[in-house]
Amino acid sequence: MSTTDHQSGWKNILLRYETLLLAVLVVEWLFFYHYGTTTNRRGVFVGFGTLDRQFDILRHSCEIGLLALALTPVILTAGIDLSVGSLLGLCAILFGKLWRDGGLTIPVAAALTLVAGALGGGLNAGLITVLRLPPLIVTLGTYSLFRGLAEAITHGAVTYTDFPASFLFLGQERWLGLPTQAWLFLPVAAAVWLLVHGTATGRSLRAIGFSPEGARYAGLPVERRVALVYVLSGFIAAVAALIYTARLGQAKADAGTGYELFAITAVVLGGTSIFGGRGSVTGTLLGVAAIAVLKSGLATLPVVIRLNAAEEMSGMLTGALLLLALTGSILPKILSTLRARRQAG
Amino acid sequence: MNPSIRRLGAILVLLGSLVPALAAEAKLMITMMPKAKGNAYFISCKAGADKAARELGVELLFDGPTDSNAAKQNEIVENWITLGVDVITVAAENKEGISTALRKAQKQGIKVITYDADALPDVRSFFVNQATPQGIAYGLLDEAARLMGGEGEFAIITATLTAGNQREWLKHMDVRLAEKYPKMKLVAVRPSDDLKDKAQSEATALMSANPNLKLLMAICTPGTPGAAEAVKQAGKTGKVKVIGLGLPNENKRYVHEGVTESVMLWNTEDLGYLTVCAAVALAKDEIKLGATSITAGALGTFEIKGDNILLGKPYIFNQANIDRFDF
Repeated sequence: MSTTDHQSGWKNILLRYETLLLAVLVVEWLFFYHYGTTTNRRGVFVGFGTLDRQFDILRHSCEIGLLALALTPVILTAGIDLSVGSLLGLCAILFGKLWRDGGLTIPVAAALTLVAGALGGGLNAGLITVLRLPPLIVTLGTYSLFRGLAEAITHGAVTYTDFPASFLFLGQERWLGLPTQAWLFLPVAAAVWLLVHGTATGRSLRAIGFSPEGARYAGLPVERRVALVYVLSGFIAAVAALIYTARLGQAKADAGTGYELFAITAVVLGGTSIFGGRGSVTGTLLGVAAIAVLKSGLATLPVVIRLNAAEEMSGMLTGALLLLALTGSILPKILSTLRARRQAG
Repeated sequence: MNPSIRRLGAILVLLGSLVPALAAEAKLMITMMPKAKGNAYFISCKAGADKAARELGVELLFDGPTDSNAAKQNEIVENWITLGVDVITVAAENKEGISTALRKAQKQGIKVITYDADALPDVRSFFVNQATPQGIAYGLLDEAARLMGGEGEFAIITATLTAGNQREWLKHMDVRLAEKYPKMKLVAVRPSDDLKDKAQSEATALMSANPNLKLLMAICTPGTPGAAEAVKQAGKTGKVKVIGLGLPNENKRYVHEGVTESVMLWNTEDLGYLTVCAAVALAKDEIKLGATSITAGALGTFEIKGDNILLGKPYIFNQANIDRFDF
């Protein structure tokens, strides 16, 4: 590690994980821009390079992106929240039910849905901080509980549709140039960034992740801070639920199935340590972008479409990207170990 | 970091070299989307579709969600629009959900056909309809009449007494009974709530209440194995015959044991075959709205009613052929 002391600031920035990830993202983007933009056999200019596709990528990243933002502070405290995808589903159903069966207006139903999301997160927070149960077990439980509730409310069969156009605008249209939901996503991203990097609370989250006992001895209100991140996680899952419902125009009990794993992948790809204590919101955003570009880009490659396997390929390559990035991130460490060993020998 | 960059480069070059592999193509490009890729029902559709594609010399892309997922169906349609295929054929998971994507495809001149499950009528040219209500009703009743020798008592097990499609079938059966089989008597129609257990207990009750019962007909798929189990347990195999709608795999056992005489559904392979034939005919402007028939290779001619291409009579699975089907 002594070598780093001699390196200039620039070199430090270049060696940072986020920079590596940004480089991967740029290479990815250029690759798909080159190979995924074509004039197709009908003579239409299509693919990755079209503005429509770029906006689509942003549109499709908002829900997973929100969940990844919600999970970043959680994982920083060495916790985990497996229930976000299920909570998204439950909130979507609640929203649909409040609006259609409850006869509430869209804004009122949306506000109540956000409260419900925070309450769902609060349940996790209570079980984790009051009963001192491990987050993995607690949220594995609520993962099933929330999804089960969503299925029970709809009997697994009811789908809420026919939302008014003013609500669908949030998920399907553009406002001031950008997909509407981006205007919800960006402030949430900024708020989470500020919380994690700009406040004492954010620093304490990292301290808790490194050593909860140490943090407690240092006089930090560990329980309150931990409770905060889970409530926040639930609240953000509810925001994602509204966006999801508006984008697809339907709320169904299976909404957001598996999203928690996509979100965790993005967070980890973004360089946040799954053991807590280390990580950044910038990294998470880059992680979300890298996965979204990969997924959408693959689907613009004619060869992939003709293999009838866009979905499978994107799953495989996301996994490969994660493993590659993680290997890359520990490469400097391996190299310095090797160098040290050579010097010793 | 060099090795990792080199490795990344190697992967990029490898992927890149695949891209030019798609040389210029003159063949028609037809796509087929199932509700779910792994579903045996749709895999057998694909077998028929592949056969048609081979015979007609077109390229067939077959892709769909790995689970029944309306959102993923949209993504795949988007991919096909990107590719600029000639015809998209879809079994729609969600009528409204898929229609926006299909409308976009049509705007770019891509023709759209639905099969198995329809989308909104304005986003596709034709729907390949696997079975009309009349076709199902007449098919089942004719098979019952054949087995009963045109006379005697029979009973029906339905899904629920209010189910729309079942009620429509029953209406057609009443007409056919009055017209063609006056000596056959429908003694009861009992609901099973689409549950095999309930169908079994209803069948048992029907047999004890009607000692002269010659045949049980189930018009919902769980009802057929349910009725068969009841007949088997009552030791009335052969005395009370069982027929009904159903998937071959659920009923194979009973058919081989001689409990169930025959199971009816449509031939899914033919459905796939006809769909691809219709797609090619549409791409070549050989069929237009207003056409009354279409010729589908080895299968012969099929009727077109409005914008519905009719697969025709349901297919009867029995001891002789049921092992050929796996769904």
